[in-house]
Amino acid sequence: MSTIHLSLAERKRLKDKTLTKHHVANILTHWFNAISWGFLLATGLAILARRVYQPVPAAWSDLLRNLFGGLAPLIKWHETWGMLWAFVLIFNVSLGFRKYFLPFGARRMMLNKDDLVWLQQYGRKLVGLKYKLPDQDDYNAGQKMFSYVVVGGVIAIILSGLIMTFSHLIPLSLRWLIQWAMPVHFTAVGLVVAGLVIHIYMGAIFPEERQAFFSMFSGKVNALYAYLHHRKWYDRYLAAERNWEAEQAAGETAGPTDDLDALLEREV
Amino acid sequence: MSNVKRYGFVIDPARCIDCRACLVACRAQWQVPTGKTRIWVHTNGVQGEYPTLSQQFVPFQCQHCTDAPCITACPTGATYRREDGLVMIDEEACIGCGLCINACPYEARFLNEEKGVAEKCNGCYTRVDRGELPACVATCVGGARLFGDLNDPESEVSKAIQSKPVTRLINDVDTQPNVFYLQPVEANNPSWPHAKEPTPAETFWQKVAVPGTKLAIGAAVLGQAIAFAKQLWGGESEFEE
Repeated sequence: MSTIHLSLAERKRLKDKTLTKHHVANILTHWFNAISWGFLLATGLAILARRVYQPVPAAWSDLLRNLFGGLAPLIKWHETWGMLWAFVLIFNVSLGFRKYFLPFGARRMMLNKDDLVWLQQYGRKLVGLKYKLPDQDDYNAGQKMFSYVVVGGVIAIILSGLIMTFSHLIPLSLRWLIQWAMPVHFTAVGLVVAGLVIHIYMGAIFPEERQAFFSMFSGKVNALYAYLHHRKWYDRYLAAERNWEAEQAAGETAGPTDDLDALLEREV
Repeated sequence: MSNVKRYGFVIDPARCIDCRACLVACRAQWQVPTGKTRIWVHTNGVQGEYPTLSQQFVPFQCQHCTDAPCITACPTGATYRREDGLVMIDEEACIGCGLCINACPYEARFLNEEKGVAEKCNGCYTRVDRGELPACVATCVGGARLFGDLNDPESEVSKAIQSKPVTRLINDVDTQPNVFYLQPVEANNPSWPHAKEPTPAETFWQKVAVPGTKLAIGAAVLGQAIAFAKQLWGGESEFEE
């Protein structure tokens, strides 16, 4: 339960107001990523045959091998979709769909003092002790921690995947690269999946964060959620709005009004 | 008589004169790369004291083991056994990681560098499927190599096994090979089987990666299950959040 006091009337007012949290490129990338993870995880598990590595029943392997027409086509599908997935991610992150992904690093991954307190206090909350969470930006410290698992995991998955996909180009003296690529791929996927279990629960089922789930379709969250969970971002959002309004009133050119990130990045 | 076929070879070292026509036939059949071979003729050299000298030649190849370590080592099943017992490599699926090569106690596999896949004797399955003998067997002028269905008592291989004492190349590991040798076979052959150690990557995968990821996913599922139970138990309030 939140420790912030807001009257019911204020809560109702804030709930009716929406803020844009995600742009369409972000939403599309998220769902492309989600579908790709579903497909690649399903086919990847079916490619594994050795029982000691295989976490799902052999029937799953048999089913997918039959559906795809054998092991070799199944591997081809996995490799092809895997490369498409890697290309889209790398393209989005490095070039950016209208530069939305470029500011990802600093504000959304670096842990600040408040984040460290937040992690400690959230631990107290999880075990049922008294807690007080410091204000968070658009990504809270838990999401920032998860981003390390994801970014590190994805880099490991892409590199090891490319080694296996283009294994025939690897010289004999570097065969060990292929032998290590397999368990590295397996481990990185396993750790990201462990994070995904939490991500899916927190994002889609956990009541306090349910707004985050809907925002992955509409791009919008309500102001009550933003105020309670992402106060720093909420304050910057309001300041950006006020700033834009002031500039308009002063007759200045405010720049592209649809570029929210640019507005939010400006000193206000 | 069983309806299920179990193909195997019977080799009579006494009939081998080391002409190596079998190696040539195999190379021609499968375009084996220069400098590599899928089958061998081993020898311990000249034995005994003059004038009682002897030399034995032992044709050698993949033993098409029933309990094949190469199949166990392959992470994807690109190496597999056909219903008739022949151990195969799916070249389309193989990525040439070399774990099967490391696992084979007979060292009967090698890496085809050009294709980037593991390679070995496949019992000439394309010939066998149309009722012909493997190239090495068909070409052996001395009749040192026999091939057929071990489950069929009327087959040439079954009759050979019944008529004379046979042995299999088994040393400190018994992978139930399906290649039988008519005795005697000279001992101390360098290709006799020896137990193989898993590679460091395999050990990491089994000992660290599998338990580590199981633990991480298990902890995540358990944690979320507890949170979900609390959520169901506590209910939700619309304006609390």
